[in-house]
Amino acid sequence: MLMANIIHIQIPFWQLFLFILIPVAVMAAGAVWLRRIVHNRSVPEEDRDWSVPPLTDTAGVSLFHLWDVRCKIITILIYSFAVASLKHLTPALVAIGISLMILMTARVSFAKVLLRLLAITGFVSMFIVVMPFSVPVHKGDTVLVFKGMAWLGFNLRGLRLAATIAAKAVAIALLMEPLLSTAPLPVTLYGLSRLGVPEMVGQMVLLSYRYLHVFRHEAGRMSSGMQVRGFRKRTDLTTLRAVGNFIGMLFVRSFERTERVFDAMRARGYQGRFPEPAELRLRSRDLLLAAGWLALGAALIIYDRVVW
Amino acid sequence: MHISDGVLPISVAVGGYVASAALVAWSARRTRSEELPKLAVMTAAFFVASLVHVPFGPTSVHLLIPGLTGALLGTSAFLSIGLGLLLQSLLFQFGGITALGANSLMMGLPALACGWFFQRYKGRTQLQQAIIGGIAGALGTALAAIILAILLATGGEDFFGIAKIALLAHVPVIIIEGVVSAFTIGFLARVKPALLQPAFTRSL
Repeated sequence: MLMANIIHIQIPFWQLFLFILIPVAVMAAGAVWLRRIVHNRSVPEEDRDWSVPPLTDTAGVSLFHLWDVRCKIITILIYSFAVASLKHLTPALVAIGISLMILMTARVSFAKVLLRLLAITGFVSMFIVVMPFSVPVHKGDTVLVFKGMAWLGFNLRGLRLAATIAAKAVAIALLMEPLLSTAPLPVTLYGLSRLGVPEMVGQMVLLSYRYLHVFRHEAGRMSSGMQVRGFRKRTDLTTLRAVGNFIGMLFVRSFERTERVFDAMRARGYQGRFPEPAELRLRSRDLLLAAGWLALGAALIIYDRVVW
Repeated sequence: MHISDGVLPISVAVGGYVASAALVAWSARRTRSEELPKLAVMTAAFFVASLVHVPFGPTSVHLLIPGLTGALLGTSAFLSIGLGLLLQSLLFQFGGITALGANSLMMGLPALACGWFFQRYKGRTQLQQAIIGGIAGALGTALAAIILAILLATGGEDFFGIAKIALLAHVPVIIIEGVVSAFTIGFLARVKPALLQPAFTRSL
């Protein structure tokens, strides 16, 4: 009678496969669907690379483009932590709804938002597939037990927990594009430095980002060279050795390039600073928007802890 | 594998931020200030190296390279890894903005440990450097997996099961990472041994 409060529901053994296959299939189909949409939509010609500083002072159109970048960073960061602290499914779903409405007003690239969702599918789907089977059974849980396999129970509480985690992850991931792509990257980083983050951090992000593309291109050339010479990736020691040498060569070339880059920067008068990319002005409506949004976050937490 | 938003308890996420901010500051102090731009460029190279996929049976795994980063950068490695993760979270699709501190700890602490280990035991011969490099590479991934499991387990007993599975999933990566690191370090020992000294670290 120890487990009196646990609701056991017996279902035939073969349905076990449904409980594993359906989440896997839904996740895989979702990932394929997202990838196809992204593929069809990617490389939009009019979509400017926002990591490049603007040449003219053409601010965007939405509320987010006009919002002071410091307020934007602080507000979205605090709000993200508020969403991450939610404990129940319904408030987390409400948070997704709020994020979707924010996306509508921010007018950001839909394809980039989907790419961000795609990036978290792997980690999140691991929770959804594993957690229903791995959480311990408590009083009041509903467990689906398969005939002949009493040790393997599909715990609905685990599914609910995993769904809550997934909902929070999606709600926050949806906010990343409004946070980051409604201002050029140098302006966002300048905002960070005005908030007390050392200026060097922003400079290092810009430099890394710039050379990331150079090295990616270089790695691409190296790997097509290897393929031309007949190299094919397999699961064997030869492949691992080739990959090891490949990475070593990448490091040698990159390291030599760091010297040349730094010499070139100094030759152009670099003394530890880049010019300031924008002038920041804090207006009352920036603060008003921040206050309103943070109040929304607080309301979500109250809904999560008190009402539920 | 990086932790996404919404998984960790909020106290762990905030604590991760505080701890990794302190470690980044320490790591930056240990780096000569005029070398910071070079470190940024080198971070881009590590980032690209971490995108390399190695086939593993029907699927493929990608390298995590905390061990190699530590072996090549020494105490500057934590700064480099924090920067790499910030970059990934800002500019590439992976958000994880609330888990950024925890992710930095997960990759950065193993890098520091492996950097110390490699410099302490690397010896003189190319073969010994390659072997120690391989051990450092495997150790880096193993430590990262253990820290990941510990971080997940802070969520309470509901998360113990998934922490174990995450740990198990890293076993093939640990082996592959060790072998690749051994070859990479062996290659560098032959081609450019100067890279095996932490280049950007302030001498004490």
